Amino acid sequence: MAAPQGHLSPAEGAYRSEPQVRAIARLRGVRKVFQRGAERITVLDGLDLEVPDGSFEALMGPSGSGKTTLLNLIAGLDRPTAGTIEVAGANLTDMTDGELARWRARTIGFIFQSYNLMPVLTALENVELPLLLTKLPAAERRKRARTALRVVGLEHRLHHFPRQLSGGQEQRVAIARALVSDPQIIVADEPTGDLDRHSADEILDLLERLNKEFRKTILMVTHDPHAAERATIIRRLDKGALT
Amino acid sequence: MNLPLLAVRNVMRNRFRTTLTICGVAVAVLCFVLLRTVVYSWTVAVDQAASDRIGTRHKITFIMPLPRRYIDEIRSVPGVTAATWMNWFGGKDPKNERDFFATIAVDSRSFLTVYDEIVVPPEDLERWYQDRKGALVGDALAKKKGWKVGDRITLVGTIFPGEWEFHISGIYTATRKSVDRSTLWFHWDYLNESLPERLRDTLGWVVSRVSDPARTAEISKAIDARFEDRDVQTLSMSERALNLSFMGMLSAVLTAVDIVSVVILVIMMLILGNTIAMGVRERTAEYGVLRAIGFWPRHLAAFVLGEGMITGLLGGALGLLLSYPIVEQGLGRWVEENMGALFPYFRVPWPTAALALTLALVLGVVASLIPAWRAARLDVITALRRMD
Repeated sequence: MAAPQGHLSPAEGAYRSEPQVRAIARLRGVRKVFQRGAERITVLDGLDLEVPDGSFEALMGPSGSGKTTLLNLIAGLDRPTAGTIEVAGANLTDMTDGELARWRARTIGFIFQSYNLMPVLTALENVELPLLLTKLPAAERRKRARTALRVVGLEHRLHHFPRQLSGGQEQRVAIARALVSDPQIIVADEPTGDLDRHSADEILDLLERLNKEFRKTILMVTHDPHAAERATIIRRLDKGALT
Repeated sequence: MNLPLLAVRNVMRNRFRTTLTICGVAVAVLCFVLLRTVVYSWTVAVDQAASDRIGTRHKITFIMPLPRRYIDEIRSVPGVTAATWMNWFGGKDPKNERDFFATIAVDSRSFLTVYDEIVVPPEDLERWYQDRKGALVGDALAKKKGWKVGDRITLVGTIFPGEWEFHISGIYTATRKSVDRSTLWFHWDYLNESLPERLRDTLGWVVSRVSDPARTAEISKAIDARFEDRDVQTLSMSERALNLSFMGMLSAVLTAVDIVSVVILVIMMLILGNTIAMGVRERTAEYGVLRAIGFWPRHLAAFVLGEGMITGLLGGALGLLLSYPIVEQGLGRWVEENMGALFPYFRVPWPTAALALTLALVLGVVASLIPAWRAARLDVITALRRMD
């Protein structure tokens, strides 16, 4: 990767064996209530959580248990009704929408179940997309995007459009897009949900590699026990509480 | 890759829909250009009117004649350097009586002194002066009728009944757009001498040239003052005012054309707005992803506004490209040949072309304002939920 290498060095991968691991995300008394018409739905209720830096966590639980809501809160996409959220040294609850957007661009890489690539852009352009928000020159952006695609094994598909790629390849482009701005945390919402077993395993191998070699903290929501097995920590949510 | 390129790519995402939208905008722009050209062409006689010419007619109405002796008195008014007169003849081609063109009897000795924007080759002019039945025809009329110098033609008089023979002495062009190039001019003497005694020596109207264009109002008053205590009183005004008074009768039509041209643009804007709103709705999830990875609401608004601008611009450009061959070459030629008296110069004026393109672009942006506002206000979580 041509991006700042601080979080990508494979040499630092052994830190997890150290006894003192700092938390990259710290949630205290987090409560999230949704208003649906006249009904108030409490999705998370006084949740406390610490996510160790460099961990690979799987969040499991039944539908409606609050997994995605928790992921969205940690990723700065949503705000808690009550409680505090501190991620990568920033108190998200105090940030404005603009500050959150800038913080997300720097800190979080997103992987979605449906890949969500821009159909009008090539693989290379899709990966370059988050870098358009930086002041990097075009040549440097392109170089970093190529590097990210090489990391996910798609250097031979740079100029293919999403419709010309398989589901697994599309998800790998999405991972390269998540990786290109060298974020500290990668959040993945059911990243293997739309894939066959073989492609899912490839994606999970890749996530594992990002965690181990590049020291990315990975938070993955999944229903799939097979996928969760790859994580170093598995957390279960049920009715808004960790069990 | 850059942000404007993303907007361009989004425009071309659904090519069929985009093509239809661009065609819709193009047709609207074409209609706008056509209607504005109608208005322009109608008013060109006013805009291009000579500033140093005064028209004098019967005070009551155009159709009542003036006594011939008035011409000499008008010529003697201080400030008047030349004067000519003419009568509306109202001739028709018996082979095609529905084919309208102006036929006017003029005083051949003074006519081209007052109307020096009319260009006649010297040999044609000489031929005309020599031939009592000679006539000058505009190049547009000659082309339409297939007339050439030397042809003998017969017209039927509607005001002065009977069959009238004319010889085509020459073909005129003009250096000013306001000149109708589909008129037939002939000798007033030929008309006058052919009329019964009681109808002779009357003038339809008089046109004078003045030494100082700034004094047209003053000289007009002086002319009318000459005839104030006569049986036949006059009304004089600058050529521009004369044309305007004629235009005044058509002002309601021109206003209606103006309104229709605006309505067409509003319809275009609504069609464009609907298409862009549809595109934004379809891309809600993508906008959610863009917001998630750090794009700001203003980025999304800019994408949508950019799409509107590009679509408007492409439609406007296509509309203009179509309007030149259709309005100027096809329809314009036909109008000039067949309706030259009303539309002497039916061409797309460049300010109209520039206005149409600018309006297409601006309306493209205006049409995308609400979709852009909606895209900018998208809640990220709600937008991301639209993925599944």
